[in-house]
Amino acid sequence: MTTTSSTTLRTAHIKAILGNELHSRLPSTKILLVGAGGIGCELLKNVVLTGFGDVTLLDLDTIDLSNLNRQFLFRKKDVKQSKAFVAAKTANQFNPSVRINPIHANIKDPQFDVAWFRSFDIVLNALDNLDARRHVNRMCLAANIPLVESGTAGYLGQVQPILKDRTECFDCLPKPVPKSFPVCTIRSTPSQPIHCIVWAKSYLLPQLFGEDENGGNELDEAEKQGENEQEIATLRKEAQAFTLVRKALRNSQPSANGKMNGNSHASGSADAARLAFDKVFSSDIKNLLSMADMWAHRAPPTPLDFDKIADGSFVLPGATGSKAQSAQTNGKHVNGNGSQTSAPEASSSSSLKDQKELSLQESLVLFVSSTHRLAARLQAGEDTISFDKDDDDTLDFVTAASNLRSAAYGIAGKSRWEIKEMAGNIIPAIATTNAIVAGIIVLQALQVLKKEYSGLRNVHIQRKAEVPLSACSVGPPSKNCAVCRDTYAEFLCDPARVTLSQFINGILGEGDGDGTGERDVSVYEAGRILSDPDFDDNLERTLESLNVSRGKFLNIVDEDGEWGTISVAIGQLPPNHSHDEPAFILPSPLPLPPKIQKPTVIEPPSTPPRKRSADEVEVLNGRPAKRPRVNDAPEVNMASPSKKRRLEEDGLLILENPNEVVDDEPELIAID
Amino acid sequence: MTSDSQDIESATTAMSPVITDAPDSKTRRYDRQLRLWAASGQSALESSRILVLSGTATSTSILKNLVLPGIGHFTILDDAKVSNEDAGNNFFLEGPESIGKPRASEAVRLLRELNESVDGAAELSDISSAIAKGASYFADYSLVIAHNIPYSQLNQLSEILWSDVTLPHLIIVRSAGFLAEFSIQFHEHTIIESHPEMPPSLRLDKPFPALLEHARSLDFENMDVTDHGHIPYAVILVRAMDDWKAKNGGKAPTTTAERDAFKKSIYAMKKKSDEENFDEAVTQFRRAFVETKVPMDVADLFQDQGLTSLTPQSSPFFHLLAALREFCSRPPHTLPLSAALPDMKADTKNYVHLQKLYKTQSEKEKDEFKEILAQSGIGVAGVEMGMVDDFVKNCHGLRILRGKRWGALDANPTALASALLSSPREAATHLALSSVSVLLEQTPQKAITTEAVTAHVLNLLPKGTELPSEVEEALGEVHVPSHSHLDESADLTVSVRSPTADLPNTAAFLGGIVAQEAIKMITKQYVPVNGICAIDLIGCTTGIVRV
Repeated sequence: MTTTSSTTLRTAHIKAILGNELHSRLPSTKILLVGAGGIGCELLKNVVLTGFGDVTLLDLDTIDLSNLNRQFLFRKKDVKQSKAFVAAKTANQFNPSVRINPIHANIKDPQFDVAWFRSFDIVLNALDNLDARRHVNRMCLAANIPLVESGTAGYLGQVQPILKDRTECFDCLPKPVPKSFPVCTIRSTPSQPIHCIVWAKSYLLPQLFGEDENGGNELDEAEKQGENEQEIATLRKEAQAFTLVRKALRNSQPSANGKMNGNSHASGSADAARLAFDKVFSSDIKNLLSMADMWAHRAPPTPLDFDKIADGSFVLPGATGSKAQSAQTNGKHVNGNGSQTSAPEASSSSSLKDQKELSLQESLVLFVSSTHRLAARLQAGEDTISFDKDDDDTLDFVTAASNLRSAAYGIAGKSRWEIKEMAGNIIPAIATTNAIVAGIIVLQALQVLKKEYSGLRNVHIQRKAEVPLSACSVGPPSKNCAVCRDTYAEFLCDPARVTLSQFINGILGEGDGDGTGERDVSVYEAGRILSDPDFDDNLERTLESLNVSRGKFLNIVDEDGEWGTISVAIGQLPPNHSHDEPAFILPSPLPLPPKIQKPTVIEPPSTPPRKRSADEVEVLNGRPAKRPRVNDAPEVNMASPSKKRRLEEDGLLILENPNEVVDDEPELIAID
Repeated sequence: MTSDSQDIESATTAMSPVITDAPDSKTRRYDRQLRLWAASGQSALESSRILVLSGTATSTSILKNLVLPGIGHFTILDDAKVSNEDAGNNFFLEGPESIGKPRASEAVRLLRELNESVDGAAELSDISSAIAKGASYFADYSLVIAHNIPYSQLNQLSEILWSDVTLPHLIIVRSAGFLAEFSIQFHEHTIIESHPEMPPSLRLDKPFPALLEHARSLDFENMDVTDHGHIPYAVILVRAMDDWKAKNGGKAPTTTAERDAFKKSIYAMKKKSDEENFDEAVTQFRRAFVETKVPMDVADLFQDQGLTSLTPQSSPFFHLLAALREFCSRPPHTLPLSAALPDMKADTKNYVHLQKLYKTQSEKEKDEFKEILAQSGIGVAGVEMGMVDDFVKNCHGLRILRGKRWGALDANPTALASALLSSPREAATHLALSSVSVLLEQTPQKAITTEAVTAHVLNLLPKGTELPSEVEEALGEVHVPSHSHLDESADLTVSVRSPTADLPNTAAFLGGIVAQEAIKMITKQYVPVNGICAIDLIGCTTGIVRV
């Protein structure tokens, strides 16, 4: 049946509507899809149906059971397989003539450099994290390739076409800063469940099962910030004592089946679970208590007692028989309190058993059993274990440890279900929103390819029954955007044979004040400063020794703020590049950054202060007419992405759209 | 150490055996959506049965988004064989291999692969035979979805389903090129869990006795500085207002000057300039005096026809609503207090104490509510206990939607004309799709021209109505050729001129947005579209034409 005429017929509709010219171009249009998850699956389907013929699909993830409620190209049998490969295979079955090239890798890997991005005609983002979205935005700007950006969270979604110098880029609009907590709040004075969850996930778990480090950097930093010195000294001692527990976790003899259970004799990991418990929930807390002035004005924590919790005789101070506190008393099923009283959500379905709150005793059992399981994995050869919301062992461990800590501090406990959401940055996700978004992405991509720029729209899917979709024309780039207002260039080199000064001198060239030529500059790589006029130690070091490699950017910032920032992408020398020639190829022409107009008067903000309603609730009303700009003053890109990433991992929900913050629900805490 | 380890062994094995709370695979599969509609929504979905008329690309896209989250059952009713165009635009067919096979069977087989717990069936008969079977045929389903079915059949179908309130709701979807519309036909739709964005009132202007007593009991003056910086703003406001009233003859501030003075009095309570809890109190200061009443939307429901005609046979929702009306008629004339306390600057001790005060009071008011319910005709026994709790918990967002029969708008020229004035773009989309659909049945496709459609549109409107430019634009987008272009396009296949072209991206979009509304109807959570939702994917806009 695959005759020419039937193929013609099959594509007749789409051809009539796209026009012959565009339609005939689609089979040879090279398209990059970044992400094969919720949006990605939908997108791949649409791209194939629309008639694109050359698709590269990249995703670093493997398939998890919780993907199957929306990522429809995957089946149960595909769990743990590469998303990119399975998606490509499933989609190809529908139309074998489409070339789909799946890549199972991280988009931030060095081989995906600017030259690689430049090999595509258009890039479509279907990512779920801010960091990767920012990265692709930047790569597309550097490669001057159009990008259609997207994101979803529950019922909300957005699509944004991005064309260099023509539209706003992803970073032109402010992104909410993920919530972070002072280190002492996490380590010694928690007051909310989230503090204990962050402690268990980002401190205790890495301390016991992660790489061997004492978390000293964080404390050095805190010390610089002027936090309580005595407190920090105690915390430092506390960190060092982990060495003992780490040893115990790793040095026991694995039992025959590699698993620890209650019946295996005196195993080292059982020791270790007890050791860990006594250290963090008893002696560490006692140490903190010894600093009397810390607790002069705060409710002091209560050290926990392993044996008493185990035999049910442990009672927390203030834990009376009241209903609201039953979660903090010992063992609900011991004192006969029905467990369903604390889990209203679970009452309608018994299958949701992880929605119930754990008693102290249950937390202890879970702490011991999850520590056993994790220790067994270390002994079976895993180097380090880090938190993964879909890894039951780590989730159980964080659930147990955070609830125990909460109990010690008199903070309400949380169910495993809630902890998963809070610790795992879980954003609700459904098929419908992804389908809507993916449909719009391709429609916007077609406008881009047709060069019908007047048809470009920033689209938001909102939770309003009256206007499900809000579309607005795309705005021009923000004139102070620290990302898209940079002047981009590419520097092909062998980083092992090029020094930083060769790089700087090469890029600046020998010009005479038109933006080229020698001048005082600082050089940054992702927030690290590599050199400035008063810091020349690195100038004669090779780029390689400075950990600057293919796929990274070096930013050259004018010291006097007279010239725009030059953002130089590091690329690879062509294979035929002779070894006798210099180990780099300069961009031609050299980048010419714009002259910065020195502001004479600082203008007051043009937007009048917004009147707030009595209830302080922002209402989703399309998009605010005026949005604050990220960078209202010329500013060096100083923020350290690595720090930011760490915060994102620790933080709560990361919302992409400022409007999304309105959803108050995660903050509502009810004693049930 | 050995004795320790033995302790732990005996200790842990002595405890209850397995309490590790790893959820079952179903919960894991649905994890991300359960966070939106919870177990109650999921179980509603799982018991739903959905009938879809026609196996178009749009139909299968909608079904895909219903099968994935786990509806109970779906049937595709379609007697068509897979055509060339189907094979090109419908992902739930096996490309060219499916051509010539029954469209419904092919689609059902592939859709079922998406979720093994969903049951699916293909019914290879035409729509008119189903219609001929009458209401009993449809009574088996909880929702019927129809995409691009012929005008006269749609008319009959909507009439049957409108004939009895117990028959399933009907979602009508029409699309042509980049234009589309859908609407939901229902008599009445009551929503308890509308998930409103506005949180319930803290009732700080009418503090309940325990809260007032707590606020009064605090010695702000002599309190330790740290504690002072951790009093929740709610308590600060109650206290500040109590103090204000004591000095002002028991009256709350009313004039702007008084309110400013009140605000200043809160600032004056600060011990240190950086006490964020007092800053919060100042930001929220209106809560102290703006009267908490029954929210307007809920108060309107007290006038609803469902209450005026309340009988023992009325649905539990209306009995609960009647009890709520009674509750609100008593002082302090507010909804039952919510136990949900928003995050506020406070330490654990203070916050938990406040939470407990709210929890206790809200339990007390819920008991009062239950008492009222018990005294009413139906009694508490008539309503599931879980429903009472849900009702009280969500009562600030209760909604009742009432719909009209499909086609009511087209039968009312005046209403159409005013829709064209108030929302020209959406109304134009509707008129274009509606007229094309009528003409498609009346005349051979070749005769459907812009002129013919325009004439039909004018026919629907009051005599002498001038068409806004939006109508012409809409007709351009459904790709109806005008007379002048007919000759040029004569060499194209019929399908190209078909004004019902089912484009993949339009189908994908509709699949998402229609399934979304279907889920809202089935779960009775969130507020669905009421009216005709008109969609223009060239401009990426949607809007509602009120019916």
